[in-house]
Amino acid sequence: MPRQKLNPLPSAAFQILLALAEDDLHGYGIMRQVAEQTGGRMRLGPGTLYSSIQSLLEEKLIAEVESREDARLGNERRRYYKLTSAGRKLARSEAERLADLLRVARAKKILRGDHV
Amino acid sequence: MSEKIYARLLRLYPSRFRAAWGDEALQLFRDRMRDETGLFPRLRLWLDLLVDLLVSLPGEHRHPHQVPAAGGGAPSFELLEPAPLRFGSLVFGGALSMAAFGACSFLINQAGRYQPLTRPSSGLENAAALMAIDEPTPATQAPGAAAEVDSVERHRLVEAAAANLKQYYVDRAVGLKTAEALLAHQMRGDDNTATDGQSFADLLTAQMRDASHDNNLVLVFSRDPLPLPSGPSPESMARYRQTMAEQNCTFQKAQILPHNVGYLKFDSFPEPAVCEATARDAMASLNNSDAIIFDLRDNRGGDPEMVMLISAFLFDHPEYMYNNRENTTERLWTRSPVLGSRLADKPAYILTSSHTYSAAEHFSYDLKMLKRATLVGETTGGAAHSGAFHRIDDHFGMGIPETRAINPFAKADWAVTGVEPDVKVPAADALAAAEKLAKRRLRRR
Repeated sequence: MPRQKLNPLPSAAFQILLALAEDDLHGYGIMRQVAEQTGGRMRLGPGTLYSSIQSLLEEKLIAEVESREDARLGNERRRYYKLTSAGRKLARSEAERLADLLRVARAKKILRGDHV
Repeated sequence: MSEKIYARLLRLYPSRFRAAWGDEALQLFRDRMRDETGLFPRLRLWLDLLVDLLVSLPGEHRHPHQVPAAGGGAPSFELLEPAPLRFGSLVFGGALSMAAFGACSFLINQAGRYQPLTRPSSGLENAAALMAIDEPTPATQAPGAAAEVDSVERHRLVEAAAANLKQYYVDRAVGLKTAEALLAHQMRGDDNTATDGQSFADLLTAQMRDASHDNNLVLVFSRDPLPLPSGPSPESMARYRQTMAEQNCTFQKAQILPHNVGYLKFDSFPEPAVCEATARDAMASLNNSDAIIFDLRDNRGGDPEMVMLISAFLFDHPEYMYNNRENTTERLWTRSPVLGSRLADKPAYILTSSHTYSAAEHFSYDLKMLKRATLVGETTGGAAHSGAFHRIDDHFGMGIPETRAINPFAKADWAVTGVEPDVKVPAADALAAAEKLAKRRLRRR
């Protein structure tokens, strides 16, 4: 696809990459992890979630791993996703970009607090 | 129940999205339904879903994802053009649809609006008669493509009309002013409502007359192609002859009224080359009357030669007839006396109306000035100048006054003002008034 949908990286896609940083997760797992890491502010609905997953898969930033059941959620088989090395690299550079922004904001006295 | 509702909402997504993620989306919905119980969490769940729909639907429809290979024998559709529609394409498609819709409405509207060409109301007859342009009879007319004029066509015609006015109009200043008025109307979009040839011609005629106060200016529309400027073709001459034969050369009535007053009603001054015999017969049929009434209330003009021919009966000696059509110092004399005519010394009356034009005004004016006839009725239409016909294209042409002759009577021309009657009465009462005048005069005798 000619269009670079992930440039700039949408915040939902970035949150998904962060959610997958520690564990491989299925869709609902990603949603809950994102809600958790944003303090409940971002609850990804199915449309946004799977649309983002689709884009991330296309860009090879995440990859599907073997589907399996989640013991806590019954005996349905679920598709699990993992972060690829490209995805991890992109998440890191996005985090650094944000860190730079934070530094600038602090230098301009917009944000107070410790340096990251 | 809730799952069914959400399943239906999922149908709003493109089929490729549903094929790839429909099951997962439903699974996620079930997971949340199971985990989020209680009124507030449920409300929040539905709110999340609706917001999610609003946010993600447009994106899904605009940015199609790559379709995973279809499997399991399920039908799948793939777009040949993977790129999404651009905004420009949507605008173009919208505009095109609107244009097509507009065109259809216009055509439907036009289908019932066809009307046969009506007889033009003024000085055109001079030009038409001189050029031997026959009006097509309604039976032979068909609604043709030429009947419609679009904005490009209107622009072209206005430009052409303005150029003709500047170049040919008898009074240069008035010609310029009128041309500019036409262009100004066009600029203001006043012409945009005239979408068929006839109404456009009528509108421009009205605009020209309004600016110039000259009723001899006319823009003519003809469904049949107008003759080329090389002059009347043998065919158009033949048609003219035929029309004149069918209409008795427009001589409508020749009769003897009470008190032996002759009455002749004719609605044009046709070409003597075609109608001399008819005119002479009509005059001869009234030869023994004691007075004569010429009814020109519906006479729209014609050939000055015919004016001379009929006038000749009214004099016993050659008389000079001023002809404002001829810009020449050469004198024009009637061929009087006419052999056998007994009308030379009989009282003559001419009935006029506001629709008496051109050659009929020439006839009325000269006989009035020569004190040879009494004019009864209304002030005439006012179409004095010699009108030359300028062909613009196959379907449009204009009559433009071009020459102004020297008036021996040294009175103002009737170009704009028309000819004043001696006895002013409404046109409808003119015949009765003239009969009364004739009767009184004959009794005195």
